[in-house]
Amino acid sequence: MKKVLSIILAVAMLFSFAACGNTTDNDVETTVTDSAYVADNGKLVVGITEYAPMDFLDENGEWTGFDAEFATLFAEDLGVEVEFKVIEWDNKFLELEAKAIDCIWNGMTITDEVNLNTSCSDAYVKNAQVVVMAADKLANYADVASMADLTFAVESGSAGEAVALDNGLTTVGVTAQSDALLEVASGSADACVIDITMANAMTGEGTSYADLGYAVELATEEYGVGFRKDSDLTAKLNTFMAALKDDGTLQTLADKYELTLA
Amino acid sequence: MDQFLRVTGNLLEGFGMTLQIFAITLAFALPLGLIISFGSMSKFPPLRWLVKTFVWIIRGTPLMLQLIVIYYGPGLAAKWAQSLGSSFFLIDWIASWTLMERFTAVAVSFVINYACYFSEIYRGGIESISKGQYEAGQVLGMTKTQIFFKVVLLQVVKRIIPPMSNEIITLVKDTSLARTIAVYEVIWQAQAFIKRDGLLWPLFYTAVFYLVFSGILTLLFNYIEKKMSYFRS
Repeated sequence: MKKVLSIILAVAMLFSFAACGNTTDNDVETTVTDSAYVADNGKLVVGITEYAPMDFLDENGEWTGFDAEFATLFAEDLGVEVEFKVIEWDNKFLELEAKAIDCIWNGMTITDEVNLNTSCSDAYVKNAQVVVMAADKLANYADVASMADLTFAVESGSAGEAVALDNGLTTVGVTAQSDALLEVASGSADACVIDITMANAMTGEGTSYADLGYAVELATEEYGVGFRKDSDLTAKLNTFMAALKDDGTLQTLADKYELTLA
Repeated sequence: MDQFLRVTGNLLEGFGMTLQIFAITLAFALPLGLIISFGSMSKFPPLRWLVKTFVWIIRGTPLMLQLIVIYYGPGLAAKWAQSLGSSFFLIDWIASWTLMERFTAVAVSFVINYACYFSEIYRGGIESISKGQYEAGQVLGMTKTQIFFKVVLLQVVKRIIPPMSNEIITLVKDTSLARTIAVYEVIWQAQAFIKRDGLLWPLFYTAVFYLVFSGILTLLFNYIEKKMSYFRS
């Protein structure tokens, strides 16, 4: 009993020490801004996935794409190197908070989830969610009302899932948009809801999904760049983005990758 | 054919990572597991409880969660400590934590996880050796250490080969969890083909790599078991 008591007292003392430190040194401590942190590291670590046309490898094994070029320009403006890191998309907010990456810049739809977990930039590109199904069935399903009996594969937590649920569709959650396509191709789901950019890149001739297609667009959405909460880089990117829009650089980039600016 | 070679090359690169995780885990977890098993059989109760609690925590939580805690944990703890703004030495120390390399985090998580599983297999093996073996050693005037290493250990090794080979083959497949923290092993490489090229078959093709490797391991364990058959116990 005495032993237990002494351990409890020792722990209590430790905490009271911590409390002391807290009161005396609170105003001495200065927080390092996020831009200073990145400048100190000499590089901006950009969290991405392979996602054409935003981020993909060219024939030399270098990262390219709309987001890759845009991020490189921003890093140049900050005076640091850019480093692309392919991450597990489910863990993007963990990666960001733990400083394994400095921003999420990968055609990320601005949603409530993104706004809650990051300090998100202004929208830079627009996208739409489309219903992909077997190309020969497209004519039978011209609008959402006719799709009430179908099962839809969606990426869990994706904008596509949110849109499908808003429209009262029956959904099955999978871990990636590419898996949603696989569900449709294998026949375990009737259709899926994915990005128009993804649908353009992954369906049609020359892919494993040559006999899939889309006709119905459900919702338009906007892409943003996620920085750590309270980061000063968000404001810097917004200013930089406005300048690139004014001088037409961003429009040229959007034309190159067939995207629509927000 | 060109595509097949390109896919095979990429998957082999991924499988190289798989093998590295496998080899490092075995190299460190096998001895560490033995040490942990001594701890869980210790005659000093506080140490025994501590070790048993640790083994309970590690065996009772998913390896995927352990990977996330070990890789992201230090960064998140540092952020929290910085937000306290205290200069108490412990808080200060935590605030200075940075992330380790992704591969190091994988190695640490796998070694700790597998050492705990191995320790229970060792414990089972050691406790199954009859008292008579120890008594015979004592009669011959051997010390405790001599009895353990010269009499008991080899018999333990023979008995634990079947459960060990089970666990080791599980390890081959568990390495695929490393992709949770973006360590690019063979399944990650295969999934990249789905995302990038719309190719599904590389994912199924990875099974060949796992099967060949676990086949080799199975043969190896059969061979070792035969070699050990001179202990008729």
